[in-house]
Amino acid sequence: MTTRSPRSADRFLAVAAALAALAAGVLAVAVAPTDAVQGQPQRLMYVHVPAAWLAYLCFAGVLVTSIAFLVRRDLRWDRVAQAAAELGVGMTALAIALGSVWGRPVWGVWWVWDPRLVTTAVLLLVYLGYLSVRGLGDDRAAGARRAAAVGIIGFANVPVVHFSVVWWRTLHQPASVLSPDPAPMDPRMAAALGVAVLAFTLAGALVVRRRLRVLAVADTAAAPPAEGDAPTGVAAEPLVVVPRSRS
Amino acid sequence: MTAPVPRTAQVAAVLRREAAVERAGREALVTTAPFVAAFVVLAGLAFGPAPEDLAAAAGGTVWLALLVATVPLARTVAGTEIAEDSWDLLRGLVAPGALFAGKLLAAWAALLVTGLLAGGLVAVLFQVPVPPQALYGGLLGTLALAALTTGFGVLVASGSRRRGLLAALLLPAGLPALLAGTQLSTPGVPVLPWAVLVTVYAAAVVVAAWAVFPVLLEE
Repeated sequence: MTTRSPRSADRFLAVAAALAALAAGVLAVAVAPTDAVQGQPQRLMYVHVPAAWLAYLCFAGVLVTSIAFLVRRDLRWDRVAQAAAELGVGMTALAIALGSVWGRPVWGVWWVWDPRLVTTAVLLLVYLGYLSVRGLGDDRAAGARRAAAVGIIGFANVPVVHFSVVWWRTLHQPASVLSPDPAPMDPRMAAALGVAVLAFTLAGALVVRRRLRVLAVADTAAAPPAEGDAPTGVAAEPLVVVPRSRS
Repeated sequence: MTAPVPRTAQVAAVLRREAAVERAGREALVTTAPFVAAFVVLAGLAFGPAPEDLAAAAGGTVWLALLVATVPLARTVAGTEIAEDSWDLLRGLVAPGALFAGKLLAAWAALLVTGLLAGGLVAVLFQVPVPPQALYGGLLGTLALAALTTGFGVLVASGSRRRGLLAALLLPAGLPALLAGTQLSTPGVPVLPWAVLVTVYAAAVVVAAWAVFPVLLEE
C-alpha cells in the first residue's frame, strides 16, 4: 500500500486549485453573460461570493475544531482552528473589499450602512478578537482553551450575517444559492460561480495545510524538550555571553 | 463527613455574595446609573432635537447604552475575587455550573436594572411609547448579553495581558442582541423575526457560555 506524502497532497491541491481557477476565469469572463442590470461589475460576483463562502466555511471549521479541541485537548485541533480563523479573517476582509469595489459602480458609493455590510464587518471584528485572545497569556494550552471558548461563542454571529439579507429590507441582493428561496440564475453564471467556489475551496484547503505545518513547527520549537532529549533548534545555539558594559 | 451542598444552594450562595459585593461597593449605583444617564442625555443632544429623529433613535440608544455597559460590568465578573485573591478558593468550592449560573444571574440583574433605567429615561426624555414586545426583547437580549459578559469577563480576567480586549470581544459579539432589541423597541416593525432572532441568539449564547465556562476556570 502506498501512502501519499503531505507534499504530494499539497501539489495535488495546488494543481487542482489552479485548474479550477483557470476554468472559473474562462467561464466568468468569456462564457457567462453580462448581467442585464449591473453590467460588467457584476462579474466581481465570481470572486466576491467564493471569498464569502470560504470565510463561512472557515468560521464553521473554527467552531467544529474548537469543540474538538475542548473534547480531545489535542493542540492539533487548535492549530486547525487558528489556521482556519486566519484564512476566514482574510477572506472576510477580501469579501468586504470586493463588495465595496462592486458597490461603487452599482450603488454609487463605496460603503452603505447596509445590514449585510455591517454584520460582515462586525463578524470580521469578532474573529480578529478571536485571534487576539491567543496572545492573552504565555501559556500555550491556556491560550488555546480561551480561543476555543471565543470560537464557539463567536460563531453565533455567522447565521445573523448570512440571513441579514433575508430578515432586512436591504440594498444587498439576497443570497443566490444558500437561501430558502434561491434567486433564478443563468446556468452559465451558476456554472462559473460553482467552479469559482470550488477553486477557492481547494486553494483554501492548501493554505490551511501549509499554515498548519508552520504552526506545528512553532509549537514544537516552543515545547520544552523531553528529559534526555538533546536540545534542538534555537536552544541548540551556543550561548552568547554579552559582556557587561562598564558604567 | 459533610453532605455535598446542592447546586441550587451553591447558585444562591454565589448570588448572595454578588449582592453583598454590590451593596458594599455600590458599583451599579455609583458608576452605571450616571453612565446611563449621561449616555441618554448626550444621545438626545446628538440625535435630536427633532421629535421624529429622537423617536427613530430611541430603541438604538437604549441598546447601545446596554451594550457599552457590558464592558465595565465584565471587568467586575471576577474582579473582586481576583483583587482579594479569593478566585481560586471560590472556583475550588463551587461547581463550575453553579458558579456560572450565579455570576450569570448577577450580571443579568445588573443589565436589567441598566436597561430599565436607560429605557425609562429614553421613554421620558425622547417622549416615545414603549411597545410590549420591547420588554420581551429586553428580557432575552439582556440575558444573552449577561452570558457574554460572564464568559468574556472570566476569560479576560484569567489572562495577564490585553485587558482592553474586552470591548473588542463584547461589542461585536453582542450585535444580534443590539439589532433584535432595537427592532423590537421600534413600533411598527414586524415582531416575529426579531423575537425569533433574540430567542435563538439568547439560547445559543447561554448554552455556549455555559459549555465553555468550566474550561475558562482551568487556569
